[in-house]
Amino acid sequence: MDPQQNDYHFSFFKPTTDSARRNRNMVLQFVLIWAVAIFGFQILLRILEKPTPEPAYIQFETSWKNIEAGEPVTADFQNAGQAALSVLGKVAIDPEHRKVLDNAVSWMAFQLAEGAQKEILKAAVSDFEKIAESTQIITDADYVAAKNKLIPVLVDLFNLQPLDVRGKIAPLEVKASLMESFNAGGRELFVEAMGLYLIHNRSVLTDFKFLGFPFHYFYTAVFLLILFVGLCWLYCIRTDMFNKKYGIED
Amino acid sequence: MKKILLPLIVLSFPSLLQAATAATQLEGGFKVGPAIILITILILFVMVGIVFRAKDTTDFYAAGRGISKVGSGMAIASNWMSAASFLGMAALMYGSGYHGLAYVVGWTGGYVLLLILMAGQIRKYGKYTAADFIGDRYYSKTLRAVSAIIAILISISYCVGQFGGIGLMFKWVMGIEYSWAVVIGGTVVLTYTLISGMLGVTKNMQIQYIIIIISFLIPLFILTAKFDYFWLLPQIGYGSVVSDTISGLPINETKELINSLGHDYAIVPAPEFAMPWDPPTGKTFFQWIAIAFSLMIGTAGLPHVIQRFYVVPKARDARWSVVWGLFFICILYWSAPAYAAFGKILSAHPEVGTLAKDAIVVYTAQLGNIHPLIVGLLAAGGVSAAFSTVSGLLVAGSSAFAHDLYVKVINPDASPKKQLLYARLGTVLMAIIVTLIALKNFALIGQLVAVAFSLAGCTIFPLVLLGIWWSGSNKSGAIAGLITGGTISVIAITYFIAGKSGVTLPAHEFISYWLEAWYFAWIGAPLAIIVHIIVSKLTKETPLEIRKFLIEQVHS
Repeated sequence: MDPQQNDYHFSFFKPTTDSARRNRNMVLQFVLIWAVAIFGFQILLRILEKPTPEPAYIQFETSWKNIEAGEPVTADFQNAGQAALSVLGKVAIDPEHRKVLDNAVSWMAFQLAEGAQKEILKAAVSDFEKIAESTQIITDADYVAAKNKLIPVLVDLFNLQPLDVRGKIAPLEVKASLMESFNAGGRELFVEAMGLYLIHNRSVLTDFKFLGFPFHYFYTAVFLLILFVGLCWLYCIRTDMFNKKYGIED
Repeated sequence: MKKILLPLIVLSFPSLLQAATAATQLEGGFKVGPAIILITILILFVMVGIVFRAKDTTDFYAAGRGISKVGSGMAIASNWMSAASFLGMAALMYGSGYHGLAYVVGWTGGYVLLLILMAGQIRKYGKYTAADFIGDRYYSKTLRAVSAIIAILISISYCVGQFGGIGLMFKWVMGIEYSWAVVIGGTVVLTYTLISGMLGVTKNMQIQYIIIIISFLIPLFILTAKFDYFWLLPQIGYGSVVSDTISGLPINETKELINSLGHDYAIVPAPEFAMPWDPPTGKTFFQWIAIAFSLMIGTAGLPHVIQRFYVVPKARDARWSVVWGLFFICILYWSAPAYAAFGKILSAHPEVGTLAKDAIVVYTAQLGNIHPLIVGLLAAGGVSAAFSTVSGLLVAGSSAFAHDLYVKVINPDASPKKQLLYARLGTVLMAIIVTLIALKNFALIGQLVAVAFSLAGCTIFPLVLLGIWWSGSNKSGAIAGLITGGTISVIAITYFIAGKSGVTLPAHEFISYWLEAWYFAWIGAPLAIIVHIIVSKLTKETPLEIRKFLIEQVHS
């Protein structure tokens, strides 16, 4: 249609020329691919996801039940302590949660120590805390020696494997002042924190590996960007072809 | 220029070597090596600015329209890759895991919209600035003035994050207070922008791109090689780092892999780093979608990005410069998540303590025991990224001030000399305002920059989109749409500032969630478009000469 016949009115959805119509169709195709690729995939992730606990949480759940029921065995304190250390090893923890987790780990360590060992443990932890307080740098010889002395004690109490990262974390989280009691409010918050940090949204898309990545991560962080560049490149090629075909000069 | 720079580098070399041990601490202390690298790069920028300085107003605003499409693509990338990309993205992923990828997708996906909906048409329209386009398309001096003011606000908001990034890097290098670092860094970038103008800026941007990308990639190659991942393509090799973070890494039996503080390269299972909208991050599915969407439409509405299409000779060059620009941008965006992943493992030991997220890129390189000079180059790259964007933003803001406000509204007879004087005055004023806000340190760099995107998405984007693609879009519709988008923006930003100042407004929690400052465009932009269309339909149609111009010049 000649634009003059239409009094120069136009809109994207009502193109007035053949070239504009082709351009509209091309733009719609690209926008559709773009939108489905970005938002469609995230919606699919959302639909497929299921709250999935880490193995540490499953271990914790059973052991904590026994502890709360007043029928714990040594393994229950060890399992729950290991699970709490799993959370404390995570980089970003809410300070309130860290406080209650420290309380839980310290209390469980105290429960695991037997007889006179309880006071020895408390004294060792207290000594380490004093050294840590006065130390400026973490490579300080006294600090390192005190920490290395405490690590095997706690590894043994919590029954950790020698190459388990949690063994290195334990001395920094066990506090002498938090060993003897763990009140009801703290216990409630502790259970809440364990669920928060140890249950994740997972699905087949997050568990499947591609080029070393979890697939969903690869798709969003790598593939989508390739797609964007590809779409732009294709659009320019096709626009150049259209312009040549319809004799459009830039 | 070589005559001056080479002796400087040669003379500084002994100091660089001597400085190798001084920069091993994560924080504090003046780091000689990185400081010399930073100063050398800044001198290089200023000298390029002097050599290619603006000679008249056309040069100042649009670089004489003589930049090639690859060159313009590099300039687009450099202009785009700000402190938010260089430092902020890794910070967001380090802090919020998969949620941070919404920023990666948002800041790249918007270019597809920009290309297919705007780039060529804007160039064909043939104006200098976004406000110029809006004022002309909507035949309204008022809209031109309002758009110019919005462009200035967007530039200021965008610059605040950049000044924050410059401050952090100057603080790290010089071991000084954050406030002083912001003031010193701000003064240097202002001086440089005043000397060079857009022509120098564009040339500089190409050099800056090369510095930014090299400084960002070298440490990544080293990190992946050092920690035994596929180092030939670290952008793929870090996939295993992400998987290791999810499944957990036991302590290495041989004890070979340690960070610079002597901690094992090990971590407990941390699926929260990569699982979508994971509960401990406190982020939701809605927020992911809203951020990605807001950033994408914001990209297509940012005045300083739109303005870049005026510096290429033809519409075809404008289109291809987007392809090149996006490709150059993606090289950095494919790499940034790797820093977050390495940072997560290297800082996993509680003894590392809480690190400033916005400096995680530099801390990761330090913790990875990379040579201090390379870490210094990385920090200098971060400063370059902020510089390249700030200079472009200051030019865009000062263009809005001098060209769109002063010349087109206040004094149409102003001489080119006076116009240039006002452009420079505008630049100084903006820099002062930005410095004052940056000192407040309101949020993460990436989040501060995202505010500018939502603002652009609610205001400029609907005007440009409808202005190009619908002849029925008229002045009344534009004003109504702008009021709608502007109102949403004011509400969101008011609640944000109130929250940061400790003031609780009515329905604070509700508004802060649904209209958070970094993604309020998810609703603001669609509402502005709807109101714009309804009011346009109900009021007097667009004048014939504009409709004719659109068909014959823009869409022919």
